[in-house]
Amino acid sequence: MTTIDVNNLTKQFGDTKAVNNVSFSVEKGRIFGLLGPNGAGKTTTIRMINYILPQDSGTITINGLKVGPATQKMIGYMPEERGLYKKMKVGEQLVYLAQLKGLSAHDAKDKIRYWLKRFDAYDWHSKKVGELSKGMSQKIQFIATIVHDPAIYIFDEPFSGLDPINSELLKQIIIELRSNGKTILFSTHRMEQVEQMCDDICLFNNGKVVLTGNLRKVKKDFGKNTVLIEFEGDPGFLDELENVRINNRSTNFAEIRLLEGQNHQDILRKAMNASDIHKFQLVEPSLNEIFISTVGEDNIKNKEVLA
Amino acid sequence: MSWRQIYLVLKREYITRVRSKGFIWATILVPVGFAAFLGVIVFISVWESDTSFEIGIKDDTASVASSLAEMNPARYRDLTMLTADSLRNMVQNESITGYIIISEENITNEKDLELIYSGSGGIQLLTSVRSDIREVIREERLKRANVSEEIQQIYDSSIGLESRRLTAEGQEEDDDTLFLSAVGMVMGIIIFGAIFSYGGYVTRGVIEEKTNRIIEVIASSVRPIELLTGKMAGVGLLAITQFGIWMIAFFGLSTLAGPIAASFMENQSGAMNPEMSETQAELPAFLDFPTLETSLFVYFIIFLILGYALYSSLFAAIGSASDSDTDTQQLMLPVAAPIFVAYFIMLHAWRSPDSMLSVISSMVPFFSPILMTTRIAITEVPFWQIGLSIVLMIVAFAGTMWLSAKIYKVGILSYGSTPGFKEILKWIKQ
Repeated sequence: MTTIDVNNLTKQFGDTKAVNNVSFSVEKGRIFGLLGPNGAGKTTTIRMINYILPQDSGTITINGLKVGPATQKMIGYMPEERGLYKKMKVGEQLVYLAQLKGLSAHDAKDKIRYWLKRFDAYDWHSKKVGELSKGMSQKIQFIATIVHDPAIYIFDEPFSGLDPINSELLKQIIIELRSNGKTILFSTHRMEQVEQMCDDICLFNNGKVVLTGNLRKVKKDFGKNTVLIEFEGDPGFLDELENVRINNRSTNFAEIRLLEGQNHQDILRKAMNASDIHKFQLVEPSLNEIFISTVGEDNIKNKEVLA
Repeated sequence: MSWRQIYLVLKREYITRVRSKGFIWATILVPVGFAAFLGVIVFISVWESDTSFEIGIKDDTASVASSLAEMNPARYRDLTMLTADSLRNMVQNESITGYIIISEENITNEKDLELIYSGSGGIQLLTSVRSDIREVIREERLKRANVSEEIQQIYDSSIGLESRRLTAEGQEEDDDTLFLSAVGMVMGIIIFGAIFSYGGYVTRGVIEEKTNRIIEVIASSVRPIELLTGKMAGVGLLAITQFGIWMIAFFGLSTLAGPIAASFMENQSGAMNPEMSETQAELPAFLDFPTLETSLFVYFIIFLILGYALYSSLFAAIGSASDSDTDTQQLMLPVAAPIFVAYFIMLHAWRSPDSMLSVISSMVPFFSPILMTTRIAITEVPFWQIGLSIVLMIVAFAGTMWLSAKIYKVGILSYGSTPGFKEILKWIKQ
């Protein structure tokens, strides 16, 4: 069942098309990753889904409804730029945000109590947000996003700026939400997070969708054409390889994408001559590699931030 | 628009502000400050005459020095026996403030006198010395001219003007124009101040949501127009609360302070000359609040609210286009300008509330809150003018609200450089 359906969505700011004829759909009960470098149009798309920005053309429906105040209440949204009222008390603030999402004050209080206890944060109930540490207020932000128990969750770059503990906590929350049948959409420019969590993906570049579909299938379609190699010795042989793209290179590790005509056995031979091989594995390409080979190396905007 | 969302925003705005220390302190300190201000006024009026400036008179004609000394013994001293040099010395070592040498020529011819003095005393001293000298010299001339007693009296006469208002119902009333003018001006100034301070609350509230970065979370639950309306209404309610408290405090204070000040003034004024005591005795009337009509207060509140609504929508738009308080300055100018213009026109309207300028500008929506209130307090404003100005303000408010909603919608999600007017125009067109 399709939960979020985006069709031919376009949004222009001045002369730049931030989102250009974008279509994708998010299925119920799955984790959907919106990927792409900064400035690819992910946040703009997310804002339109949240009915924060109006689209220039195209349609967005959520559970069959056109986006609007009613669909806003079905969504728990955590924007990339996170924040809370610093001078308000934690409890009051959460009640306010939950009420804006349609909860009654009474229901809101019950749920807030549950989540604060669950995150070991019940003592902060009467503290002002400005008095909390950054990690603490991040937890409060999670609660604010999920407290009204919506069916859909949208996180924009959720892991940026999180400390490792909260990063892990958020991952658990997302996975738990999915197992409860919720739908999750999140955006990121860090591909490795997607590999761990997403069911489906949509790759963005320059405001356009370049690839969308089931993550496993996307990877499978690319075939086993990537070599992971661990070695000890002179890494100079890597520079002599032809018809390859080396993505993830360090002193004794490399991820080598085989381009046309290149044979992995040849690489193994060359490597053995030059160094001591600890590991040699033929795998599906990483998402990063898929992205680069789909878009073409020269067409990537903000290449340096893509990791 | 969902009223529930507006109500929730309004409630938050109101409650967080009304509980804040800043609000509580301002609410307490303003009446205290007002009382202190009144105290200072009373104090000044009582003690003003205390500092005396002594002027030595060297009267070579021996005809006017004594009448001057008689007129104000504390000020004028007959020092005819001293030489000009020793008078100079006295001024230099500050035993007198200054001296005047009067010769025959000054009385018979139109020759100006000269006051040689240390420079202290200011304009007030100069004017009073000038009028004293004129009076005694005129008397002396009349005396020398041997005019009859009758003519001397004519010269001494000074006819006053009392005024009474005749109402349409044919009733004569005491005319409080002077007092009402003061009230009108004070009300105009209060509205002027209120628009700026509560408008400032709105601007800062909008900026705060932007700098806290909570705005996007809020925008995912509330329509910008609901947020804007709730915010303005919340701060507006805050204003009404604060004014309510102040008015109660004011009435309480003036019923207490009136009699106290009056009795205090009576004791003091007995010691002064009769002409002075008459003006002094009127001062407590300034505290005699209950004589004001209730309708004036109703209009005051109506124009305060409408003025606040009109301007606060624009103040919100300014806030949404800025990232910090300092950014607001360049955008503030076109909004602040009409308030200042209204203020300056009020300084004119206060004296002549029925002039063409006053009447016309009091109907311009952006000026009405200040000018119409002042006029209503001072003069009889025809109801159609009041009604028309209210209607025009409501229409103008619909316009500013529409404009501001457009700017606000885009502004709250824009960060980075403060947009120029050109860019804001683009937002409106979007």
